[in-house]
Amino acid sequence: MRKMLAAVSRVLAGAAQKPASRVLVASRNFANDATFEIKKCDLHRLEEGPPVTTVLTREDGLKYYRMMQTVRRMELKADQLYKQKIIRGFCHLCDGQEACCVGLEAGINPTDHLITAYRAHGFTFTRGLSVREILAELTGRRGGCAKGKGGSMHMYAKNFYGGNGIVGAQVPLGAGIALACKYNGKDEVCLTLYGDGAANQGQIFEAYNMAALWKLPCIFICENNRYGMGTSVERAAASTDYYKRGDFIPGLRVDGMDILCVREATRFAAAYCRSGKGPILMELQTYRYHGHSMSDPGVSYRTREEIQEVRSKSDPIMLLKDRMVNSNLASVEELKEIDVEVRKEIEDAAQFATADPEPPLEELGYHIYSSDPPFEVRGANQWIKFKSVS
Amino acid sequence: MAVVAVAAGRLLRLRAAAAEGRWHRWRGDAVARSFLQPASARKDAAQLRQVAHFTFQPDPESHEYGQTQKMNLFQSITSALDNSLAKDPTAVIFGEDVAFGGVFRCTVGLRDKYGKDRVFNTPLCEQGIVGFGIGLAVTGATAIAEIQFADYIFPAFDQIVNEAAKYRYRSGDLFNCGSLTIRAPWGCVGHGALYHSQSPEAFFAHCPGIKVVIPRSPFQAKGLLLSCIEDKNPCIFFEPKILYRAAVEQVPVEPYNIPLSQAEVIQEGSDVTLVAWGTQVHVIREVASMAQEKLGVSCEVIDLKTIIPWDVDTVCKSVIKTGRLLISHEAPLTGGFASEISSTVQRWFFLLLLLKQHLQGWGCGSSGSALAWHACGPGSILSTTYQQRCCVRRELKSKY
Repeated sequence: MRKMLAAVSRVLAGAAQKPASRVLVASRNFANDATFEIKKCDLHRLEEGPPVTTVLTREDGLKYYRMMQTVRRMELKADQLYKQKIIRGFCHLCDGQEACCVGLEAGINPTDHLITAYRAHGFTFTRGLSVREILAELTGRRGGCAKGKGGSMHMYAKNFYGGNGIVGAQVPLGAGIALACKYNGKDEVCLTLYGDGAANQGQIFEAYNMAALWKLPCIFICENNRYGMGTSVERAAASTDYYKRGDFIPGLRVDGMDILCVREATRFAAAYCRSGKGPILMELQTYRYHGHSMSDPGVSYRTREEIQEVRSKSDPIMLLKDRMVNSNLASVEELKEIDVEVRKEIEDAAQFATADPEPPLEELGYHIYSSDPPFEVRGANQWIKFKSVS
Repeated sequence: MAVVAVAAGRLLRLRAAAAEGRWHRWRGDAVARSFLQPASARKDAAQLRQVAHFTFQPDPESHEYGQTQKMNLFQSITSALDNSLAKDPTAVIFGEDVAFGGVFRCTVGLRDKYGKDRVFNTPLCEQGIVGFGIGLAVTGATAIAEIQFADYIFPAFDQIVNEAAKYRYRSGDLFNCGSLTIRAPWGCVGHGALYHSQSPEAFFAHCPGIKVVIPRSPFQAKGLLLSCIEDKNPCIFFEPKILYRAAVEQVPVEPYNIPLSQAEVIQEGSDVTLVAWGTQVHVIREVASMAQEKLGVSCEVIDLKTIIPWDVDTVCKSVIKTGRLLISHEAPLTGGFASEISSTVQRWFFLLLLLKQHLQGWGCGSSGSALAWHACGPGSILSTTYQQRCCVRRELKSKY
């Protein structure tokens, strides 16, 4: 009996120690912030560039990590839903490019403006919409941010102008938004994004000229992920120095896989524009793991080894995580906990997106024109009529 | 013209009398109403999303041009391009992603066969592609440009309308870019939405100086494309993308030409003329057979093929015979090409025509949604024909 009690008490003592060690972890002191060195940006027509060191606070670090992880998991969930045919149509995913959307957002204010092309899910999230609204829009349901009528390429939010399908067409729009910023005098800037394929469109150069002529606070950003659909940059462009393509517009080339680099460069560019000096161009060198869209396997024009190499050496989430853990800004367990929470959030959102009803057929004709009173739109034959309310 | 009018009037009354009998017969029939109702009335409309709104109907094999091979639409295009590059040493093909074979596989194998000087990629710049093509054609080379989707042709609209179409005219025939052909995938595909489903033929119909051609099948596509390439005017060739894989037919291996600006009467009939082009031809054919089966209506089906310059004579001859015209297209209603056809026919046959009807895609623009699709299908067109006949009957009673 005594031996048994002794054994039991030993076991209980052992069991008691585990909670104690957990308490120790929770009360472990993390650093408040840490200073990191970041890659120097290549400059075009600029004397100085963004700083080569930056301070990252624990709070910011956790926030960026959570945001990037949310974008990553949201894109992977979209991939899954597409393969299950719950999302249909076109779907362009941005996993691998999380540092761009989160880093850009970190460098500007919510009152600044942003416009991009069709690889827009990440930006929709960083500009303030919830994952639920984004996934519901992808599945074409009522709860979607565009009421289920826009889909993958047409998501909009406050100060976020989409979400545009035609390549390069959003750049003159961005210049226009920048003019409005200057006109309104509220010190706002407009981030106008486009890809390496779109960089060869004529209207981009028209926008450069207008922005420079009128000194518009427009930050042109080329998200160079090395491939315009299936065409590598070398085969499409006479000059792959996209940051120099603005010619008379100063430019910087930024490591788009390092969120801190993107943040510092954005802060620098925004300050440049806000000071009234005119437009500036940023090239973000980044990479996408998926193909151009879900119909593109993504391996016929590049090797799996290349994708693997980028994933293992330059993954933006991994880079941030390593930095934070190594500088004692966070622990591995804490970041894992964030992963779990994010997964749950995405699961819930996917559940909602699958269960929400589709928009009603009556709304098919809405918002064609702005008109009062509502008018009728003819359907496929003259006995089918839809009311157009706007 | 007055004589014609009088004769037409007499014809009208005769026609009406014969038709009256038929209408009386089925007015009391217990014809199943479900297929006659507009699509929106049906509750299962949403479930029909998975089903295509038409069935491709191949034409019978033709031995006129030698040995044939089974080909789908994109293979017949490849064959036509192959024949062109073989025959004409100045022919070149360029566009976005054409080198590896194209996003719809229309140019597979051509770069390997003819070399990278003759089949090459361009950067992403539609205006540049067409402008560059015009320049190439002006020097006499045969330029075959590809625009990746017809929805993206608009940056090149200025080049087509202001440069290509007017070159011969403004230079007094000193220069021309007749050896330019622009190819683009066209039309509804189901999941294309706003920017991968458009049918922009009407925009170009408003421009003298160019030709716009739309085939309905692989056999037609090869012959028409070869005619476009050889035609001495700049041509735009729209390829119905939904038919790229779905349409399979026996197509001659050797080159052959199908003349432009000649519409084809695919099926003869006596009660109503149905006109369409591209994918809708197959919808219309199904409507014709459903009308014959369920309503005893004999339809004459015409494939217009060339949008401009269009074959006015064939359509008008048919309307003289039937007295009724129905035109169907995917593009939006207002300003759609059906308006041009119907106004021309009406101008010539004002007294003869009982009622003309045109059916088009949604007035709100894109007909890319699956629901819109279904409504463009045979059931919906048939319901229109049914109700059209009721209107005609009422009108006749009041007029005569």
